Amino acid sequence: MTRTAILIACGLIAGPILGGLVSGMDRILTARMQSRIGPPLLQPFYDVAKLLFKESLVVNVWQVFCAYCYIAASSIALVLFFLQSDLLLILFVQAVGAVMLVVGALSSTSPYSHIGAHRELLQILSYEPLLVLVVVGFYLETGSFKLTSIYAWREPLLLKLPFLFIVLGYVLTIKLRKSPFDLSTCHHAHQELVKGLLTDYSGPFLALTEIAHWFEVILLLGICSLFWATNWFGMAILLVATYFLEVLVDNITSRMNWRWMLSYVWGVGLTLSLVNLIWLHQG
Amino acid sequence: MDMRAVLIALLVLAPLIGAVLCTFLRTQAVRSAIVLATGAILVVSAAFLVPLTPFKLSLASVFGLDLHRIVQVADFILLLIILYYGFKHRHLAIIALGLFQVAMLVTLEFFLVSGPTVYERVNCDQLSLMMVLIISIVGSIICYQAIPYMREHEHHYQVAPSRQPRFFFVMLLFLGAMNGLVLFNDLTVIYFFFEVTTLCSFLLIGHDRTTIATQNALRALWMNSAGGAAFILGILAVYRETGTLELQNILLPGLAGSGIYLLALALLCVAAFIKSAQFPFQSWLLGAMVAPTPVSALLHSSTMVKVGIYLVLRLAPGFAGTFLSQSVAVFGAFSFLAGAALAVGQSNGKKVLAYSTISNLGLIFACAGINTAESMIAAMLLLMFHAVIKALLFLSVGAIEQRIASRDIEDMRGLYAVMPVTALITVTGVVMMIMPPFGVLLSKWMAMEAAARNLYVIIMIALASALTVMYWARWAGTLMSDPFAGRFRPERQPVLTWLALGPLCAGGAALSVFAPWLYMGLIQPVLSGSYTASYILKAGVLENAYGAFAILPMCAVALLGLVVAVVALKRAFKSRIVPAYMSGLQTGQPFFFQGPMNQPVKAEARNYYLDSIFGEKRLTDWVNLGGGILLTLILGGAL
Amino acid sequence: MQAVKRFINRMRSKSPWLLHFDCGSCNGCDIEILACLTPVYDVERFGIINVGNPFHADVLLVSGTVNHRNKKVLTNLHAQMPSPKLVVAIGACGLSGGIFREAYNVVGGIHKVLPVDVYVPGCPPKPEAIIDGVVLGLQKLQRLHEQPSVEKEA
Ligand code: SF4
Repeated sequence: MTRTAILIACGLIAGPILGGLVSGMDRILTARMQSRIGPPLLQPFYDVAKLLFKESLVVNVWQVFCAYCYIAASSIALVLFFLQSDLLLILFVQAVGAVMLVVGALSSTSPYSHIGAHRELLQILSYEPLLVLVVVGFYLETGSFKLTSIYAWREPLLLKLPFLFIVLGYVLTIKLRKSPFDLSTCHHAHQELVKGLLTDYSGPFLALTEIAHWFEVILLLGICSLFWATNWFGMAILLVATYFLEVLVDNITSRMNWRWMLSYVWGVGLTLSLVNLIWLHQG
Repeated sequence: MDMRAVLIALLVLAPLIGAVLCTFLRTQAVRSAIVLATGAILVVSAAFLVPLTPFKLSLASVFGLDLHRIVQVADFILLLIILYYGFKHRHLAIIALGLFQVAMLVTLEFFLVSGPTVYERVNCDQLSLMMVLIISIVGSIICYQAIPYMREHEHHYQVAPSRQPRFFFVMLLFLGAMNGLVLFNDLTVIYFFFEVTTLCSFLLIGHDRTTIATQNALRALWMNSAGGAAFILGILAVYRETGTLELQNILLPGLAGSGIYLLALALLCVAAFIKSAQFPFQSWLLGAMVAPTPVSALLHSSTMVKVGIYLVLRLAPGFAGTFLSQSVAVFGAFSFLAGAALAVGQSNGKKVLAYSTISNLGLIFACAGINTAESMIAAMLLLMFHAVIKALLFLSVGAIEQRIASRDIEDMRGLYAVMPVTALITVTGVVMMIMPPFGVLLSKWMAMEAAARNLYVIIMIALASALTVMYWARWAGTLMSDPFAGRFRPERQPVLTWLALGPLCAGGAALSVFAPWLYMGLIQPVLSGSYTASYILKAGVLENAYGAFAILPMCAVALLGLVVAVVALKRAFKSRIVPAYMSGLQTGQPFFFQGPMNQPVKAEARNYYLDSIFGEKRLTDWVNLGGGILLTLILGGAL
Repeated sequence: MQAVKRFINRMRSKSPWLLHFDCGSCNGCDIEILACLTPVYDVERFGIINVGNPFHADVLLVSGTVNHRNKKVLTNLHAQMPSPKLVVAIGACGLSGGIFREAYNVVGGIHKVLPVDVYVPGCPPKPEAIIDGVVLGLQKLQRLHEQPSVEKEA
């Protein structure tokens, strides 16, 4: 019982803190790649704290409801991850958040929100099946969907699921809103999108979506960590390398359109997963 | 008299009596009273059936008449009626299929079946009970809503004299037939009711008597006649192989090896696929959307199309572990995927619902084909949840349609401002289709875990469920797209409409909470004969060796989240309300910006329907081709 | 309570997000504003981000004169910014109408329609001056909040 409580608390605390730090690191790294100095490490926290205490400005009250649902879902997903629950269940809960964010954006009347929301839906459409297939890969190798069993597996899963790791990389790029998949909202698309999906979320509600996003990032990194769960060192190296690669890809590619994203991600992602799953199936 | 026999008679015959009364007593008030009373009888009888289940009954005679004889005669009369419609509309396919069925029936009844055997004609187990509950409760609710709906409908189209007596005659008749279909164990009786539902569907689709309605009704009739033909052929083959017409007894183990036996099961499966409008037979269900919305809700989403599911679920243990089972799984998954893809391309609300129905039924078939305990549990849960929630969504769309005179999703933009309660109920329905902790998602989760070892199936399921999320989320968002409307003012609707929408919505949610007990009470006992059920229920968590779905904890947490969100919502009313971002050119009106010469211009951002990828024109041929190939595979592989 | 307030104020001054509105400028000022955002000046060091969306912005940078056509847009954007917010007028035009002052369609400087917090003179001002203007504005914001009466939208 106390163990459960501690784990829940860990999940609730780790999400915002680690997520914010990762985001700060990300910004510094990006700045360095662009030969800038970049903001302080704690900048994301300053931003969120500022937003939380701004005036609440509302376009449609249901947007507020959706923002709260988004943060609730993504924090529950991370807590479930810490509780070592069923991986598919975690994906579903996480998807609730993503969908609520979209519904919130659609509930505004601004065309910019709408375009962003639809693009976000297309992003969900692109990554969701792949995420399920990654989990299926875990199951075929370890015989379980439960995180307890997956973490307890005797060898690093990366060795058996190399292609699925690449597939997860695609998912991560989309989920982290990195180029070339930052279609729905990003800091660089003012001309076409304003802020897309997030255009009409403001002040404290924008802060909520940001924190929720941190939860999601940590959840995804947690899923990445499953690929090398045998020792801490390997896990750390894997995570750092993966994230570095994400930032690098973000800085050397440009934003593409959804048509390309859907065909490319489904084409490459499904092929890679199929090959990897067939291996596992035969093995 | 035996209580059980009385209940069965009530469930099957009370609607029939109600139906006949409806045709003779033609005033609105009396008709409403009859429909309400029939519904109440059905619900009460179904409730009384619960503690008695399971039981078997050899119902040899009704009121002193041999049941077998009655059904025989009725069967021929029914086929004659179908033939009559075939000749009336000069529809060759219907005539040919009708004559074929008569010939087969004659062969079966007069040449093959030797002498009356004593059967257990009624077999009411938990699966039947589940179906009876769905039919009686959901069916009655839909009939209730049909009362105000049809009044408005006839008012709108200025139908005189009223055709409502005929409408309610068929609706009630249909309820009785459905109850009969799931309660009886005798294949000839099932076949009879199967044909009755076909006829009812035909009559209701053509109810409005427009050219398009007649055309679509005829299409439904010939396709379902083809299903009937496959069914009777299947019965013949089954009888040749097993020498029995009892649904329970044809599934004896040890028969699975024989080719003809599998072919017979495959034929019955094909009949089921046609009834459930799986690809390539989807066109009749889409055409059926021209019917008044209660019809779509009752026949074409929550009950009649479930007949196919019911049959395949019954037959599944008979073909476990064969190639047939494998191909049914792939076929179902394919339907799931194709239906979802086509739904993405639709902006017509009813068509989205139709495709999503086909798609969900496909998933259930896939589960039946996977044929393990887990997958069967998923199939049955999905059957139940889908029936309730889809009925809710259809009825909501019906109510919306009557208000805004359109069923296009684009026209529902900002519906929350016009009819907030209906919009909220619809959104709740959508949420229950795609989100945890609700039952549809629970069963989808079970299906995924059960299908994980079947590569093609799981890939199709993964793709399809992402597509599903896409078209539902889009719709929910569009409904809520609304400027701040000030105080919450519920719209006015007929009482019966609220009485239909409210309970269905609450019921959908309650069923999700009680899913563990449904599983223990209804599903486990059905499966225990043929499968080793593996989930254990622990503190509201359904758990097996490789997965755990925390139903009750999830419900509790979701409730908590909801409360927080609602409190936040309440507080948000106090915030400063501003128009949405329109590059600084917003006007007082939502959606409008200030254009040249200070004129308001409407900003249009339509939903993405991805027509170039998921459009009906583009996909239908391919999907039909795929469905056809898989169907051939099913029949050929059985040989 | 006081500590919390101070904390919030510090956060505010550490993360000013900009909305840049070109209110009929000759584009000279705009180019200088955009120059601030290049790696050479790297304003992200101070947490400054150009968000381009009033709902997210804390500071409204306006360049150019107000005319009869765009004054509505300017006030609209300002109304969509959540408080506390700053308005920084950039360039001679923003201050007074500049060389366009006498034109028939021109209303004048930004202060004619919005309460301006900081004026950055120049034609165009240098990027350093613009950054300085934003920083000045933030100091003003802090001072405002240390006094008990909080600036409120009418
Ligand atoms: S101040 Fe000078 S540079 Fe700036 S807008 Fe006016 S004229 Fe152009």
